[in-house]
Amino acid sequence: MSQASEPILQIKDIAKIYPGEGKSTTVLDHISFDVYKEFLCIVGPSGCGKSTLLRIIDGLDKPTSGQVLFHGQPITSPSPKVGVIFQTFALIPWKTVLGNVLMAISSASIQKEEQLKIAQKYIQDVGLEGFESSYPKELSGGMKQRVGIARALALQPEVLLMDEPFSSLDALTAENLRREVVDIWRDPAYPTGSVIMVTHNVQEAVEMADRVIVLSARPAKIVDDVRIDLERPRSPRDPVLYDLADRIISKIS
Amino acid sequence: MTIAYIFALTFALAYGITTAMSHRASHVLLPLLDIFQSVPVLGVVPVVFLIILGTGTGTTPPPEFNQEVASIILIFTAMAWAPTFGVIAGINAIPTDIKEAAHAYGMHGTRYLRQIVLPAVFPELVWSSILAWGGGWYLIPVEEHLSFGQPPNQTQVDLPGLGRFIALAALKADLGLALFGLVVLVGIILAIDRLIWKPLGVRAEKYKYETVAAPRTTATRQSSVVAGVRRYEDRLVSPVLTFFKSERSYAARVLEITRLKRIRHITERLRFPERIGRIPLWGRVLSYAIFVGLVILGLIVTIMSRSQSIERGISLLATDVTALELIAITLLSLSRLVIAYAIALSWTLGAGILIARSQKLSRLLVPIFDIGQSIPATALFPLVVILLVDPFKNSPYLGFTLNLASVLLILTGMQWYLLFNIVGAVNGVPNDILEATAAYRIRGRRFVKEILIPASFPAILIGSIQAWGGGWNALIVSESIGPNVSVPGLGSFLVQASSREPALGAVEIYASLLVMTGTVLIINRLVWRRLLRKADRYKFEA
Repeated sequence: MSQASEPILQIKDIAKIYPGEGKSTTVLDHISFDVYKEFLCIVGPSGCGKSTLLRIIDGLDKPTSGQVLFHGQPITSPSPKVGVIFQTFALIPWKTVLGNVLMAISSASIQKEEQLKIAQKYIQDVGLEGFESSYPKELSGGMKQRVGIARALALQPEVLLMDEPFSSLDALTAENLRREVVDIWRDPAYPTGSVIMVTHNVQEAVEMADRVIVLSARPAKIVDDVRIDLERPRSPRDPVLYDLADRIISKIS
Repeated sequence: MTIAYIFALTFALAYGITTAMSHRASHVLLPLLDIFQSVPVLGVVPVVFLIILGTGTGTTPPPEFNQEVASIILIFTAMAWAPTFGVIAGINAIPTDIKEAAHAYGMHGTRYLRQIVLPAVFPELVWSSILAWGGGWYLIPVEEHLSFGQPPNQTQVDLPGLGRFIALAALKADLGLALFGLVVLVGIILAIDRLIWKPLGVRAEKYKYETVAAPRTTATRQSSVVAGVRRYEDRLVSPVLTFFKSERSYAARVLEITRLKRIRHITERLRFPERIGRIPLWGRVLSYAIFVGLVILGLIVTIMSRSQSIERGISLLATDVTALELIAITLLSLSRLVIAYAIALSWTLGAGILIARSQKLSRLLVPIFDIGQSIPATALFPLVVILLVDPFKNSPYLGFTLNLASVLLILTGMQWYLLFNIVGAVNGVPNDILEATAAYRIRGRRFVKEILIPASFPAILIGSIQAWGGGWNALIVSESIGPNVSVPGLGSFLVQASSREPALGAVEIYASLLVMTGTVLIINRLVWRRLLRKADRYKFEA
């Protein structure tokens, strides 16, 4: 993907310190990077603070110091231009598929009918047509995450944040869904410019990303920033990907 | 009370293990348990006294020993059900793979019982024991000072204890003394809670089978509780100031976990209706037959012991009370319960939402509520008498204040169940859901309406069922506040029956108990169980 000169998001010197009894724990140790129109993956060992970083980027969590700029404006609370996809899907059990998708856009100032149309379009796009009135309990894990994706896309976000979106799914479902997410992102009909995905699955990261940011164990620092300029669509079994993954894994351990 | 507890525990283990391990036995034992626990405990009071003390009626008061036996049996009836449900839930919660592993390694009989069943049951036993002791305390103020029988040959039960102290203070209309007794009672209850149950509860954690981590009480918090308990114990001997300081932080931490556990226990218990629904007809019929048989047996024993004939009692009842009257007083009692329930539900829902939305408020309010709920509602009765009844003895407003007092007393028996269930539910909303709603900017009233209230729906139901149980219990005492001070209703009818002509009284007591149990069972079936079936959708997936 081409790199625009203006960054969409700027992560500036973010630190997160949890005060504790006696000594405090530093989770994020002054992290800075810019995000352009690209598919960015953040990888690191489990518990290193990747998810905390993602939450700070969305404004769900506050950094101890530093700030996140979205088109130059600081983010302090969740923005309607940012969609989030959760590892555990985070669907409301008493809302239908349609209800869960509608929930994302119902606070925007759009007419009810228009909202319904948008929601239905994205439910179709993720392949859930006919399941609008099903409840999350009746769906498989893969289908639940599709609802999560539709909910995020319905916002028509400029930035899409994904927190380990495939790690609660079985391997086969995950592989299909990965491909679909990349396809959706590459489709020019979608306005989403940047995707930031947090994962501990390095193979998954190199397969999907234009760029991989590698974090160290706690306190997390950026130890590498790898560009991946491979042609798309990529095959997950491409040997080049394995080499890249090996290189990244050696940086983490 | 301790003796009653030991009996209750033994009963719970025996009954629970038989029910959970034998499929056939569970067909009868489970519905029977369900019926028994629907009988308002306080309603059993006159019956037990009739049976145990009946032999001694007349001019000579029954011997001390009989009185103590009766009081132990009563406390037992208040204590036994929660641990029994706990044992069954604990055994049912043993994962299949553990059972299979035990089987594969040749664990059978007593070894299986000792090494698998008992440890699995331990945590549930601890948590339900807390509930059981609560039920026991509830009875103390009532059963230690009781009078029954007609004035000339009245039987006075007077056991030395705190309960009598408070009751006597109320009789003398001494607000100071009653308050003092109340403070001492609450002090003892809180001390037992802190010193025995909560440390035991922390230890019980070890025996829990690992499932998905409970929302927002993760490993770090548990270890800090252990640390908190240790620090608390260390400081018990150190100066008073540090004591209060540690007590505050300790209480705040432990409370949250205790709540969650109690909630979990209660949720387990509420699965029983579903299981009972699947029990074959013969099991249900047999269990009802056993219950009716026991009631008739009790009736016969009571009346025989007083050398009266049943026919005479029934014919007396027929001339004295019509079925219409019985229905009318039942409706009067029901309306009081409904009013108290409406008040309880509205304030607890508000408080639950406030607690959910502000950490600071939660830390402030939850300990206050904890102390509030540890006061047995029955111990408050004398206070209400002194404040609401005595000053209005000769005023035309007496009818109103009496009804108000009655509703207030019922409220004290109802509200805590609702409150703690709701607080548990709003605290139990998973973190990912909270983040998703924040990320998609669902705030304020929409958050309350679309997330908090639906999320507490199952808890409101569970709390309501318990609250109504508590309400019926409180009803019996609250409608008949003192001699000559009562409002018409099923509760006062029951209490007055015990001071009637023996044969008539016995029949009346049984009649009102049956009506009460019947009403409870009917309301459970018609209202709560139907709603419970709907509640499934509102549960978060584990």
